[in-house]
Amino acid sequence: MDDIQTVAVIGAGVMGAAIAAHVANAGTTVLLLDIVPEGAKDRNALAAGAIARMMKADPAPFMGKRAAKLVTPGNLEDDLDKLGEVDWIIEAVIERRDIKQALYAKIDAARKPGSIVSSNTSTIPLVTLVEGLPESFRQDFLISHFFNPPRYMRLMELVGGPDTRPEALETIRAYADHRLGKTVIDARDTPSFIANRLGVYWLQVAVVEAAGRGIPVEEADLLIGKPFGFPKTGVFGLLDLVGLDLMPHVNASLSAALPEADAFHAANRPVPVIAGLISEGYTGRKGKGGFYRINRDGGKKVKEAVDLATGVYASARKPKLEAIAEAGRSPRALMEHDSEHGRYARAVMVATLAYAASLAGEVADTIADIDEAMCLGYAWKDGPFVLIDRIGPDWLIARLEADGAPVPPILEAARGRSFYRVENGSLEQLGLDGAYHPVPRPVGVLLLSDIKRASQPLLKNGSAAVWDIGDGVLCFEFTSKMNSMDDQIMALMAKTLGLVQKSYKALVIHNEGANFSVGANLGLALFAANIAAWPQIDALVVGGQQTYQAMRAAPFPIVGAPSGMALGGGCEILLHCDAVQAHAESYIGLVEVGVGLIPGWGGCVEMLYRWRTYGRLPNGPMPATAKVFEILSTATVAKSAAEAKALLFLRPEDGITMNRARLLADAKARALAMVEGYTAPGPRDYRLPGPSGRAALDMAVRNFRRLGKATPYDEVVAGALAGVLSGGETDPIEVVGEKELLALERSEFSQLVCQAGTLDRIESMLLTGKPLRN
Amino acid sequence: MTRVVVAGYARSPFTLATRGALARVRPDDLAAQVVRGLVARTGVNSEDIEDLLLGCAFPEGEQGLNLARLVGLMAGLPRSVGAATVNRFCGSSMTSVHIAAGSIAMGAGDVFICVGVESMSRVPMMGFNPLPHPIFAKSNPEFYIGMGDTAENVAQRWQISRAEQETFALRSQQRAAAAIAEGRITDEIIPITAGDSVIETDGCPRPETTLEGLASLKPAFSAEGLVTAGTSSPLTDGASAVLVCSEAYAEKAGLPVLAYVRAVAVRGCDPEFMGIGPVGASRRALERAGISAGDLDVVELNEAFASQSIACIRDLGLDPKRVNLDGGAIALGHPLGATGARIVGKAASLLAREKGRYALATQCIGGGQGIATVLEAA
Repeated sequence: MDDIQTVAVIGAGVMGAAIAAHVANAGTTVLLLDIVPEGAKDRNALAAGAIARMMKADPAPFMGKRAAKLVTPGNLEDDLDKLGEVDWIIEAVIERRDIKQALYAKIDAARKPGSIVSSNTSTIPLVTLVEGLPESFRQDFLISHFFNPPRYMRLMELVGGPDTRPEALETIRAYADHRLGKTVIDARDTPSFIANRLGVYWLQVAVVEAAGRGIPVEEADLLIGKPFGFPKTGVFGLLDLVGLDLMPHVNASLSAALPEADAFHAANRPVPVIAGLISEGYTGRKGKGGFYRINRDGGKKVKEAVDLATGVYASARKPKLEAIAEAGRSPRALMEHDSEHGRYARAVMVATLAYAASLAGEVADTIADIDEAMCLGYAWKDGPFVLIDRIGPDWLIARLEADGAPVPPILEAARGRSFYRVENGSLEQLGLDGAYHPVPRPVGVLLLSDIKRASQPLLKNGSAAVWDIGDGVLCFEFTSKMNSMDDQIMALMAKTLGLVQKSYKALVIHNEGANFSVGANLGLALFAANIAAWPQIDALVVGGQQTYQAMRAAPFPIVGAPSGMALGGGCEILLHCDAVQAHAESYIGLVEVGVGLIPGWGGCVEMLYRWRTYGRLPNGPMPATAKVFEILSTATVAKSAAEAKALLFLRPEDGITMNRARLLADAKARALAMVEGYTAPGPRDYRLPGPSGRAALDMAVRNFRRLGKATPYDEVVAGALAGVLSGGETDPIEVVGEKELLALERSEFSQLVCQAGTLDRIESMLLTGKPLRN
Repeated sequence: MTRVVVAGYARSPFTLATRGALARVRPDDLAAQVVRGLVARTGVNSEDIEDLLLGCAFPEGEQGLNLARLVGLMAGLPRSVGAATVNRFCGSSMTSVHIAAGSIAMGAGDVFICVGVESMSRVPMMGFNPLPHPIFAKSNPEFYIGMGDTAENVAQRWQISRAEQETFALRSQQRAAAAIAEGRITDEIIPITAGDSVIETDGCPRPETTLEGLASLKPAFSAEGLVTAGTSSPLTDGASAVLVCSEAYAEKAGLPVLAYVRAVAVRGCDPEFMGIGPVGASRRALERAGISAGDLDVVELNEAFASQSIACIRDLGLDPKRVNLDGGAIALGHPLGATGARIVGKAASLLAREKGRYALATQCIGGGQGIATVLEAA
């Protein structure tokens, strides 16, 4: 992967620009080129414009401001010679073979020997792309297919041709895996590769079946959505995101490329309403709307959905479907439900899953690759073969046989069995040969789920478990709902610290949930408050502080390894780790003020320490206090690990892992590297501004009130926060000990938690998921 | 009594804080270059300078220590020249002119360089360690009131509508744009060298300003307020300097006299209505000069905000046509400590250019004060 030092992306459209941004996220310098627009003053206008747009886009293609500086805009007339210094050239221009081939000729003349050229094509086969090009080019050429948006979608399909050098594939595989954080799946050179081949079929069947059966789009999205573990956008919501205007192109290209016998042809029936929508500019979210639109007439925003038969929009409904309610969590029960809805779900999913089975061996080497591609490329919770296992292969076979449809060979091989099994603690998959084979993991990947399959926890209670991940390192896993923090986690942590000290070397805190932790269990807190169980609440706060302090005082290293959200108490546990190895997509923040609280488990104190130590702020008692106040009073959440470093939720020396699958291994290595000669950090002293600083912060809050940016209760909460961060009644010439500050933090927390304003905020958060602005 | 004259004026370009071309220039560097430029332009013998008096509103960080002394040394003035840093917030460098005038009048020196500087990019308002007195901050919040809030207070009490403020702001922008386009400002600017680049033009003016554009801005200080960024002076970086000396010295050294300093005054007012400060101070200064507002040919009234400028014009009975002929701080910018020297120097230059007899330079000051200087043509 060190072979790639500089990258060029050609084509500054949505995909090309965002790929360039993600390469920059990896810390690699990247040249972004596009054509010179006619009559343009700035000859780099297309690339420069794309970079400027991306700086403001949400979700952000860049992980931080530093990344944006690594992208240099250029154009294809003045900057072609710069390709001579580039190790990897990614082509992401319009899907036209003639244009791509003309570009390849230019690239080939400019690039250095041995540099790698890849296309981000999603439809044109590799053999067609390199036809007629010199062998030296064909050897260095491959397809690297990213998914949109490239920063967030973890899939990259890698396609080599008959002439592609294996080392070129390995170089890109390693770079994409380690540096871009992608799960690289080898795809065969077949039309649309893996994920889009199945995904487009799935969407097409869902659309034509809905139109044919008169199922409204809102209902279709409910059915072909959550019950099967698909994103809640469902089918039509997803097409709105992708762009309706892409459908005819993609369908036409697949239709031309696929053999006559392919099931896609039968599904590729026109839906007249869609052509009408596209021609009127309803191309999806990028246009005026699509299957859904927001109607702003009359000053109010009304979400509307289109009628697939008439093309007329009407206010979108939120239907409660009996089929879904009665099926519970069983996709099979949904498909068996005796209703139009049940029959629709069955028609779509039986066809989709059978199609998936028919692709085994054709588009990828293994079923696990197809599953992984759908999970990472389409955000399915389970891939098609895991879904079939949940539904029952025999049930699916029976359905196909009853319909007189062919049963694909791999499905036949699964008759009476399943696609996956666990053998001696290892996950195995069914091969086309009818035998089970291990699901391979790339070298160096360590997954907690694999460890859990193969072993028993050393310690466990209702909210957490502790696993031996080898080499003397234990892993502390949250298992509570949404990985929320509670007294059981604190209790098990206390036990774990004892266990590690006695018999192990180091501890890693990690889990494979979508989010590391969403914070303290608010439901419990509210319950305790409602029955006025103040001593219990106090005990929870004290217990949390003590546990986190004990973590810091432990005579062995503790490494946090978060991915996804680490909020509130979940952030505070990271703040008390000796080091953090964070997944690049970690969203860390102290958001307590949103529920009318302040960090009470040492978060305020640790953040003060960090800003005083690493903050590069002017001298004096106030700057660190003011900075931490600014971050905490606005519940700032870092939108990447890089941003978390800028906010000092992560220390400068904390590590960032791009590939989530490598996070645990990296964290473990980090912990082991710290073992020798490890000493726990000592107690800290603080010099804080006291009441004068508090007065300055109060003034700032009043200004926000006047501006309408702070509510009356914000002022109360901010006051408590200001009290802690300014050090209470201290004086700038005094030194405050850590214990005193923690006591102050606890006392301000306890005063807030029993106030009506706070309880209202907690209740609202639990009921609506949104902060109450009281 | 010895007569005091303004014998030279120069300033750096004024540029927007943080985003502007001077954001990365240290304030000591900035002021030193202006002092060096003024000495070179006037040809004053630097051995004769008694004192360098430098105004700065937030003298800490890079503006800390005795900034005046460092600026004098960096500007290459002889080590024998004294130096003092003066703080009266926005009135700082006008105060340095007053100190010089008083000193000359009592025979305590002949030649003074009166400087002002503020890098609002590099030293924030309130400073790096705002530590207000906790008891007074609670019992008398007006002691520490934000400037935007005072502008809203003035707009309320003097009933100055948002539209009226915007018309005033537009006029300031138009006058500044015309003055720049016609080259009427070039002469006062000392190009500033920063690394490899030379900064020689003002960065704050927005000649493209329209009433529609101004009307579309959100209130800047209060959700229901009438004051916007468009009707306020922007946060600015800049430095300015005037050469103040005795009439006898100017004559002997052959220095051109821009104007005589005829009278000066300061006067406090309610902190929450600080914008009205120029009224009391100007009345006193005019009285001391024995003239009335109607006698003024040129007025430089610092436009901290449109609302307070309009209120002062009304209460003093000034002729708007004679106020801020080349635009004011809303367009040109307001580097706090530098503004006083700028408007004294500008008023003196305008008096010569417009061939008038009397000029007034006046400004409001945070905490509730006004300061004023009356000049008379040479």
